[in-house]
Amino acid sequence: MTDSTIIVLITLIIVLPIIMTPVIFFASRYSERLRNSLAVITSGLTFALTIALYPAAVQGNVVQQTLFEILPRLELSIRFDILSFCLAAISSFIWFLCTIYSLDYMAKEHACSRYYPVLILALGSCQGIYFAGDFFSLFVFFELMSLIAYILVIHEETEEAMRAGYKYLVMTIIGGLALFFGIIIVFELGGTVSLGVGSIIQETSFLALIAFICFLIGFGMKAGMFPLHVWLPDAHPVAPSPASALLSGVMLKTGAYGLLRVIFHVFSVDLMLSGGWDTILGVLAVITILLGSAVALTQTDIKRRLAYSSISQLGYILLGMSILNDNAITGAVFHIFSHAFMKSILFLAAGAIIWKTGIRKIADMRGIGRQMPVTMGCFSVAALAMIGIPPLNGFLSKWTLSLGALDAGMPFYVLVLLISSLLNALYYLPIIIPAFFDVPGGEDHGTGDQHEIKFNIKEATPGMLSPLVILAICTLVFGLTPNNIVFILSRLTSAFLLLGGAL
Amino acid sequence: MGPLEHLPVLMVVIFFCGAFLMPLLFRWARPICAPLMVAILAAALVMAIIILQSVYQLGPQLYHLGGWPPPWGIELKVDLLRVYMLLVLFVISLWIFIYALRDLGNELKEELIGWYYTLYALLVGSMAGIALTNDLFNLFVMMEICAITACAIISIKEDRECLEASFKYLILSAMGTGCFLLGVAMLYMATGYLNYDYLHGSLVEAIALYPRNLLLAAALFIVAFGTKAALFPLHVWLPDAHASAPSPSSAMLSGLVIKIYAFALLIVFYEVFPAEMLQGVPLNEIILWLGSLGAMFGSIYAMLQTDLKKMLAFSSIGQIGYIFMGIGFNHEMALIGGLYHVGVHAVTKAMLFMAAGVIIYATGVRKISDMDGIGRNLPLTMAAFAVGSASMIGLPGTGGLISKWYLSLGALEMGRPFFVIIILISSLLNAVYYMPIVINAFLYHGEFQFRVKPVPRVMLATLIFGMIVIIISGVFSRPAVVLLEDAVSRFF
Repeated sequence: MTDSTIIVLITLIIVLPIIMTPVIFFASRYSERLRNSLAVITSGLTFALTIALYPAAVQGNVVQQTLFEILPRLELSIRFDILSFCLAAISSFIWFLCTIYSLDYMAKEHACSRYYPVLILALGSCQGIYFAGDFFSLFVFFELMSLIAYILVIHEETEEAMRAGYKYLVMTIIGGLALFFGIIIVFELGGTVSLGVGSIIQETSFLALIAFICFLIGFGMKAGMFPLHVWLPDAHPVAPSPASALLSGVMLKTGAYGLLRVIFHVFSVDLMLSGGWDTILGVLAVITILLGSAVALTQTDIKRRLAYSSISQLGYILLGMSILNDNAITGAVFHIFSHAFMKSILFLAAGAIIWKTGIRKIADMRGIGRQMPVTMGCFSVAALAMIGIPPLNGFLSKWTLSLGALDAGMPFYVLVLLISSLLNALYYLPIIIPAFFDVPGGEDHGTGDQHEIKFNIKEATPGMLSPLVILAICTLVFGLTPNNIVFILSRLTSAFLLLGGAL
Repeated sequence: MGPLEHLPVLMVVIFFCGAFLMPLLFRWARPICAPLMVAILAAALVMAIIILQSVYQLGPQLYHLGGWPPPWGIELKVDLLRVYMLLVLFVISLWIFIYALRDLGNELKEELIGWYYTLYALLVGSMAGIALTNDLFNLFVMMEICAITACAIISIKEDRECLEASFKYLILSAMGTGCFLLGVAMLYMATGYLNYDYLHGSLVEAIALYPRNLLLAAALFIVAFGTKAALFPLHVWLPDAHASAPSPSSAMLSGLVIKIYAFALLIVFYEVFPAEMLQGVPLNEIILWLGSLGAMFGSIYAMLQTDLKKMLAFSSIGQIGYIFMGIGFNHEMALIGGLYHVGVHAVTKAMLFMAAGVIIYATGVRKISDMDGIGRNLPLTMAAFAVGSASMIGLPGTGGLISKWYLSLGALEMGRPFFVIIILISSLLNAVYYMPIVINAFLYHGEFQFRVKPVPRVMLATLIFGMIVIIISGVFSRPAVVLLEDAVSRFF
């Protein structure tokens, strides 16, 4: 694939959803069907265009193109490399499925003519983050996506949603300003913020450390890193379920992506190690993992429990980044994929349950597996993958991460991963076991007739089930052997980044 | 050269002529008043553009009024810096005037409108004079005209609040002028000149002879311009004056009048005072700290306001702080940032005041808490308000980000990351008080409780223009920044 084709494709991927946003908005005045189908087509097309870049990504093509200069030495530019491709592919895939899922889920909701344009605009800005060629463009798209996501968070417009949204907004702006500070320090020290330069900052200094901390605040806030996670457990559960799936499954990853770019493009592996900055990241990651899992245990609302689980899972990705060797980075990138699959399933399944029955409390979910076997089946697959049961993709991430930790001579991290798996089991199993083996609504599960399991099937619509099933299959297929596309892409990405990540 | 040679003085004179004609025409030929004013403003804008071209071709030019050479004659100067200021001045005053055409009928008595035009022309003319002048005495005269007309366009509304506010403004402004005159006298005593270029040349020697007098003069200038430009803690007059005035006047005062004094301070500090003068006592440092305190406290006060226009007025105190920070850093990048912010904030704050004016026009609502849900009734107005807020916070894609970028870059180049943090914290504070207004306007659950009058198209068109300018200043900012780079490079 030639460079110019790639540039045309990525420009299309960013511009198409952004142009379609007003179109969808005006289409909603004429017909709901038109609006919905346009939304699905746009997200589908974006996914298809992204996938079309696959051969270029595998061949290791790297393209960097300046669009125009905003200020002297500061430009808007786009870039394509394998890391961009991985993130863009997984997010447009999840986005496509969530849009399909939304068709039925949102049918009873209000303000859909606001929801769909916003959903598609967020897709465009998310792809823009991944294909941005310098930190300034990345920052522009990052802010755009964060502000757009606010409208998804407060969609229900309840008192609770507004409060969570306000918290989210304030944190987002703090994060945005921190990013701005980081970027400007990099510009001051290195004279450029382009991703095409390799390591922009060559030596440690006080300012460089401040820049690193600023990036850590800006991107870490988005990724739900401790102690900046406070907005996440409020904001993710109040959004409509498909939006929660996107917020937790995809948009959190923009923070992880940003940190990867910072580590490999602004600084370098040597600089991180010599400054001891990997330890900062490692300590925060360990706290994030353990704290997220521990707090998830205490939650009674299913979506809140899932949100806390997201915090702990993003901790894995941060942990992989802090170890900084081949296996660990592979594990981190692979876990970006895995967690996107798993957490979208969990949120979409929870959404299907809430949509069908209105149940949000975990205690009320007894026996729900008998009413909604497919939904709960998919939920169980994802939950087991979260725990790290072997043939599922969660196991492969943890295995690779643990290998990386051992390579680096840090068995302590393996212990953390194991404890967290145990905690995951402790908070996921009490959801799925009673769901299948208890009587619906029955308190007396000891005395009831356990052998006579009745299935009163009241499933959600096929439009909501099919994304779930597809994702569950992905969880299984991409975990079965390390010889799958996703794992190979993760390996290639890791090798690419460790080589310096520049042109 | 031919007739084009006289353009610098023409830019000032047509306003003064227009000002004298307006009351007469308003009595006998009322319909042509407004078009004539628009024509004058547009003509001045065209002249400024022509001058910009000639400055690009021929470099800075001096104009001697009546052919009298300095140091006695009045000298006007055009260079890139001044032309930038003039362009900002004329574009924005034309834009505000078009808005005012529809809004004034709502706020003023019919027979006062002619006088309002007079005052408006005098105000713009005197500001152009302040920007163009090359000697201190002329600056003093123009400042007096500007101060009195600025008071008059507040008190023209004739209610108790306006009169009180404009009286307060008049007294503090007169105090500032007094300080300025005293400072000018000291400089004249020490050097015998009032012309900027002559002063600059002779001050180098005079510093050795009269170090204390000259420092006192510099201090007096800071107080004089600081009072007039609402530099913290000399800002006390601003909130009342800007909040109670008719909306076009508020837009004019917050958008342009306070900037022109900051600009005058910049010219005096960079063009008149030699570098040695600023070395002994850290005058720059004082301006820098006062600017950053203003940026913080202006925002903090703004958070406490319940009246929309009061909040916007306090926000101006915060924003003028950025401009003074740009002057105080004494670094090229920061100065570019400060000057860029002069333009950006002029557009943004003028637009926010216009949006507030539209809200008052259409609904009569002034309290922020009454504005919940207003976005459904006045979508375009609140969209403009949202864009303006984004620029105030400095979100990407708006001009506010570019000025903050350059200010921060200057701060880092000077090795003062602390001030970047101040800029960021004050941006956050801006977000805290601007965002809830926009959010509640669009996403409030209930209905808007007040009756909404239809808004004239012209007013909406002016708001759309403002939005476009703000976005252009954030995305296609390169030409303006390059112009400013050329303009300030001679100071460093």
